[in-house]
Amino acid sequence: MTIEKTEELLLNMGPQHPSMHGLFRMVVNLEGETVTKIDPKMGYLHRGIEKLAESRTYSQFIPYTDRLDYLASPHNNWAYVQTVEKLMGLEIPERAEYLRVIFGELARIASHQVCIASTALDMAGWSAWSYAFRDRERICDMYEMTAGSRLTVNNMRIGGMSNEPPAEFWPALKSFLDDTPEMLEEYNGIFFGNEIAQGRLKSVGILSKELAENLSITGPCLRASGVNYDVRKAEPYSIYDRFDFNVPVRYGCDSYDRTIIRMDEIVESVKIIKQAVRDIPEGPIMAKVPKVIKPPVGEVYHRVENPKGELGFYIVSDGTTKPARLRIRAGTFINLQMLPIVSLGWKIQDVVAIFATLDAVLGEVDK
Amino acid sequence: MENKVLKEQVEKLAAQVNGEVEEIIGELVLKVKASYVIETLKGAKSFPNIPCDFLHDLCGVDGVDHLEAVYQLTSLRGPQRLRVKAIIDRENPVIDSVTSIWQGANFLEREAYDMFGINFKGHPNLKRIYMWDDFEGYPLRKDYVTEPIEVRNIVRTRIEGE
Repeated sequence: MTIEKTEELLLNMGPQHPSMHGLFRMVVNLEGETVTKIDPKMGYLHRGIEKLAESRTYSQFIPYTDRLDYLASPHNNWAYVQTVEKLMGLEIPERAEYLRVIFGELARIASHQVCIASTALDMAGWSAWSYAFRDRERICDMYEMTAGSRLTVNNMRIGGMSNEPPAEFWPALKSFLDDTPEMLEEYNGIFFGNEIAQGRLKSVGILSKELAENLSITGPCLRASGVNYDVRKAEPYSIYDRFDFNVPVRYGCDSYDRTIIRMDEIVESVKIIKQAVRDIPEGPIMAKVPKVIKPPVGEVYHRVENPKGELGFYIVSDGTTKPARLRIRAGTFINLQMLPIVSLGWKIQDVVAIFATLDAVLGEVDK
Repeated sequence: MENKVLKEQVEKLAAQVNGEVEEIIGELVLKVKASYVIETLKGAKSFPNIPCDFLHDLCGVDGVDHLEAVYQLTSLRGPQRLRVKAIIDRENPVIDSVTSIWQGANFLEREAYDMFGINFKGHPNLKRIYMWDDFEGYPLRKDYVTEPIEVRNIVRTRIEGE
């Protein structure tokens, strides 16, 4: 028998696949092991949150935002409640702002730890995974003692916070912050310093600065491509203008920089939390908010720096108790556009690495 | 603030494309007809000194008697923000695709097509993104009828031996 021709192999990855972070599927065209085309398919987790919002009141919608980027749920709450507050022109108490910053930055650390862990896992580094997840547990414990749940925290309300953290929260937070340099040292040693990890990630999946801007990439992926842009600095929301922190930027544009930039961000987050704990004033945590939330007719767009990209809410209000249109600008959904472009020409195992460093959470991608 | 400078430029652009400028909660909104959208966005992208050159978001909105495509423009080099609204005819929802200006509009336009049935002319791969391909109707339109729970149960019940 003679071989007449070679042909492309069509490979279905996902929706149930160990290296897919959730229910994501891609159809990969392979020439040997080299990728020639990727067709991402999403929607396996589509719950129609935007449609649900139109039949819920403004307060009822807060728990739904937890289910967007479920690895950093306080951030989603924060983005949503701030949008409604902006629409209503509400001022919120100082203490609530500080508590929001503390929870938001804790969520950023937790989310980045998951990213580092799952990237390691996708490179078959089981032990690196366990280190980062061990430390994330401590943040989950702090969520639990404050709000009762470990993943979908839901402790922000329109006008403030739902409750004060208990007394044991503050020592737990302090010891966590004190231990972070040691944790980062460990991740550096076991994962980023590992020769295999470096070989798998370095100069893989180059996303140039121009391409990143053209593709509307935001968050750490943009900053790893050499763009110094962070909403917390560019357009300070909440009280971020009071803190002294840097925006980490890396210029490698590759998968390695997209992962290690998250280590730099953890360092900055720790700095912010330390300042917030030092400066937090006493006082109420809830503003005087009308019982029935009825924003005036109008529309507002507000964005925050989520750990994985910018999260934006666009609310059109018709003056009733329910939004006429609520649009969620999900950062990772838009960041995912780089996958079919950047992965071309790489081997199938590199696609796994590129997808891992994107840090996509399908709750947010599929809404 | 440079908001004033931006406003001047937006008004100049609005005169070129027959648009209206509004200010809603501190943000400039430029309303144009669907046929002018490419011209408007290209104009906003090349504002001198304060270009609104980053497509931050694109979404559809159902305005009951018309549809809208809403573009949120920002920049990575400054604080300027602009919202462009393109008014689309509800009976014949066609608008030019902006994928030629920003590649990043690809998924966003597919989503707007999926949810509102807006046809983006010139899009490289205009298919449904969340719903399955043979899904009927456009879920986020106001006239979309959500099926009652009884109907849904009938659809989901399997006949014995099937």
